[in-house]
Amino acid sequence: MYQVSRAYPYIFYFSLTLYLLSIFWGLFLTPEDFVQGNSYRIIYLHVPASFISQSLYMAMAIASAIFLIWKVKLSVYLVRSIAPIGAITTFIALVSGSIWGLPTWGTWWVWDARIVSTLILFIMYLGLISLHDSFSNHEKADKFLSVLVLVGSVNIPIIKMSVEWWSTLHQPASITISDKPAIDLIMLYPLFGSIIGFTGIVTCLVILSSKLQILKRERNKSWIKSYV
Amino acid sequence: MFNNAFNSLSEVFLMQSQNGQNHGIFVWSVVVIVFISILATFIFYKKNIKKISKKLK
Repeated sequence: MYQVSRAYPYIFYFSLTLYLLSIFWGLFLTPEDFVQGNSYRIIYLHVPASFISQSLYMAMAIASAIFLIWKVKLSVYLVRSIAPIGAITTFIALVSGSIWGLPTWGTWWVWDARIVSTLILFIMYLGLISLHDSFSNHEKADKFLSVLVLVGSVNIPIIKMSVEWWSTLHQPASITISDKPAIDLIMLYPLFGSIIGFTGIVTCLVILSSKLQILKRERNKSWIKSYV
Repeated sequence: MFNNAFNSLSEVFLMQSQNGQNHGIFVWSVVVIVFISILATFIFYKKNIKKISKKLK
């Protein structure tokens, strides 16, 4: 944790610079989209948030499995620390998607498979936080949280594949590993930059959240004073 | 690769598309929401860590 804290300022300033530069590039230096006009520029804020909201849940699922198998206490602290950050990024993804939907689809909300599964992800994040905090017994809460996170991870492939499995208003993924990107390279480079930058910023938030979680949970231990 | 998409500040603000619609309000609302959310989260954690660290010292 000490090494992570030392790396924090480097990750933070690098990510923030990359994110701001990529957003600037995307907003002002890329051409207008032929179909969507200038509203497509929301992609530089929506896609990173959407990508991270799902990635964070997968990280939670891995940490939960580690806790349940090897009983590593730090991993369940990480699960509880990631949950609020995941809720915020999912909130950003939902709101930015809604705002983008208005000029593109003519409506800010449709009960479309991708949007509903993302809404479920947001509700799951909130539910996991409140459920964990409702227990007075920490050990029980940790176990319950980890099991529920693992059960809920079934929603991630559903979100990912929803645009392929069902006929949705939401467009299919513009970037895939196997195919050529459906987006022009001039628009793609700043998108990659914003995804990497946003990932770094969110990593910093997770570091802060984990620090707070450790301070709260280990406050009665003697070693904590050296950590503060 | 780098070409200005807009020629004036009002164009930046309005972001008028070729179909005549102004998309600036949508884009700028998202920018504001994203930056406020991130900033508020950083402030929340920094404040709480400071508070709990003071108590522990």
